[in-house]
Amino acid sequence: MNRNLEAVLVVGASGLAAFGVTLVNLASGGTVDAQVGLTFVIFLLGFGTVSLALRRFAPRATPHLLPPLGLLAGIGIVEIYRLNPVRAGLQRWWLLIGAAAATATLWWMANNGVAVLRRYRNLMLVGAAALLALPMLPQDWAFPLKGNEVNGSRLWIVLDLGLVDLNFQPGEVAKLMLVLFLAAYLADRQPALVTARRRLGPFRVPEPRQLIPLLVVWLGSLGVLVAQRDLGASLLLFTVVVAMLYAATAEAGYLTGGLLLLLAGGVGAYRSFDHVQRRVTAWLDPFSDFEGAGYQIAQGIFGLGSGSLAGAGPGLGRPDLIPNALTDFIFAAVGEEFGFAGAVAVVAAYGLVVAVGFGIAVTARDRFRKLAAAGLTLVFAVQTFLILGGVLRVVPLTGIALPLMSYGGSAMLGNFVLAALLLRISHEEAT
Amino acid sequence: MPDVLLTLLRLIFLALVYLFVWHVARSIASHVGLGAVARSGRSGNRVVVVRSDTQAGLDFTVVDSVVVGRSPKADIVLDDPYASEFHLRLTHRDGRLTVTDLGSTNGTYVNGRRLSTPVDLARGDAIQVGKTVMEVR
Repeated sequence: MNRNLEAVLVVGASGLAAFGVTLVNLASGGTVDAQVGLTFVIFLLGFGTVSLALRRFAPRATPHLLPPLGLLAGIGIVEIYRLNPVRAGLQRWWLLIGAAAATATLWWMANNGVAVLRRYRNLMLVGAAALLALPMLPQDWAFPLKGNEVNGSRLWIVLDLGLVDLNFQPGEVAKLMLVLFLAAYLADRQPALVTARRRLGPFRVPEPRQLIPLLVVWLGSLGVLVAQRDLGASLLLFTVVVAMLYAATAEAGYLTGGLLLLLAGGVGAYRSFDHVQRRVTAWLDPFSDFEGAGYQIAQGIFGLGSGSLAGAGPGLGRPDLIPNALTDFIFAAVGEEFGFAGAVAVVAAYGLVVAVGFGIAVTARDRFRKLAAAGLTLVFAVQTFLILGGVLRVVPLTGIALPLMSYGGSAMLGNFVLAALLLRISHEEAT
Repeated sequence: MPDVLLTLLRLIFLALVYLFVWHVARSIASHVGLGAVARSGRSGNRVVVVRSDTQAGLDFTVVDSVVVGRSPKADIVLDDPYASEFHLRLTHRDGRLTVTDLGSTNGTYVNGRRLSTPVDLARGDAIQVGKTVMEVR
C-alpha cells in the first residue's frame, strides 16, 4: 500500500528537518538543544495529520505529493532557524495551522466533493476580489481591520486585537479562489471559447470575442500592478490565466496572444513606472548600482557562488548578509549553505511536485477537476519559477514567496490548502 | 566538535536529501509507468478531441486499454448521440496505439475510411465517431 510509503517518507522528511537543525546547532559551537526535538515533533504532527486525514477522507489520493512538500518545508525551516530562531518558532506554528487547514479542507470535501466549489464559482470570484481589495483599507482608522504597506507594496492586512497585531496577506488565499473560479468558468463555457476560426492568408485568426478573456485578464494584471505596485502578483495572475485558457482549449493562439500582450504590458510598465525600471536594471546588471538597487541580487549571487558544490554548511555561511534572506531570497541562503548539490535537490523536489500536479490534471476526466488541478499546479509552478528565476537572474526579480520554504504564514496556509485540493482531486479521479 | 566530523555529517545530510528525492521520483516513475513511455519515446498515445459540440479540447492518454463510448460506464464518455454505448477500444502496447471498433452502429472512421479490422494509429491520425473527431498526438 502506497500510503505506507508516504508515511515513511513523511517521517523521513521530519527527521531531515531535525537533522538540519542539529547541524546548525553543532556549527554554532553550541550543544544540541530542544529545538531539534521540537522541529521533529511539529513536522511529524503537521504532515502526519494530513497523511492520516488522507487515509480517512481521501484514501485513493496520490501518495507522491506530500513527501516532497515535507522535504521542501524541512529544508526551509532549517535555513529559517539558522537565520532567525524566533521566526522559525513562528513558522512552526504556521505549519501546524496550515496542516489543520489542509485537514479541514479534506474533511469538508469528503462529504461534498470538490464539485461543490464549482457550484459556488461566483462566490469564489467575489471572495477573491474582496480579499484582494482588503489591503486597500485605510491604515489609520479606528476599525480594528487595517490595510498595511510593506516595502512599497500594499499587500497586507493587520487585525489589531489590542495586545497583538495579526498580519496576513489575503492575496495568498485569493489566488486559490481565483483559480477555482476560472476552472469552473472555463469548464462551463468551454465550447464558446473553441470555435471554427477564420483564415487570413496562411494564418488562422481567432474570433475577436475569443480574445475578450485575454484582454480582461491583461487589464486586471495591469490594475494589480498599478494599485498594489506588486510586479510578482501581476505576472503570476496573467501567466496562470493565459496558461489555463490554453489548457482548457488547446488553442495555441492564446499563448501567442498572451505573449504579445505580456510584451506590450512589460514595455509599457517599464516606460511608465520607475520601480519596474529599477528592477529591470538590477536584473541586467546588478553591479552597476551595487550599493543601491542591485545590492540584493548581487549579495544573492555572492551567496550562491560562495556555497560552491557542497555548501558552506548550515550555520557556517553568511546568508544574513543577503537582504530578505528569510523570504524572497531563501533560495540564495540555501544555495550558500547547502551548496549547488542542495540547490539542485530543492529544484528537483519542486519539479516532482509540479510533475505530480500536472499528472493529476492530465489523467483527470472531469473538465472542472482537470482545469482546477492544472490551475493549482500552475500557481505553484509559476510562483516557484518567478522567484527562483529572479534569484538566479533568469528573469527580473519579482518579490514573491518561494512556496513552502520562504518564511511567511499566509503563504504556508495557502500552500497547504492548495495541496489538499490537489490531493482531493487525485482521490476523486483515481479509479 | 571536530571539523572533520561536522563536514561528514553535512555530507550525510545531503546524501539523505538525495536519497529522499530519488525514492519519491522512483515511486512516481513506477506508478505512472514512466519506464514504458521512455522506451517507446514519443509514441503518440495521447488523444485529443478536436471537434465536438461540447467536448472539444478534452484529451486523454491511452495506457493499456481505453474504451470510448456514450455509456457512462465507458472510460471516456462521449457526449455524441451518434456514438454507440461502447463504441471503440484504444490499446497501447509496445509503443503501438491500436483502435478497434466494438461493433458500433454508425462505425468508426480513421482518416475518413471506415474501419473493418483493428488498425494501428500514428501521430496526426484522425478518428471520427459520429460527429466527434479525435486526433492522435
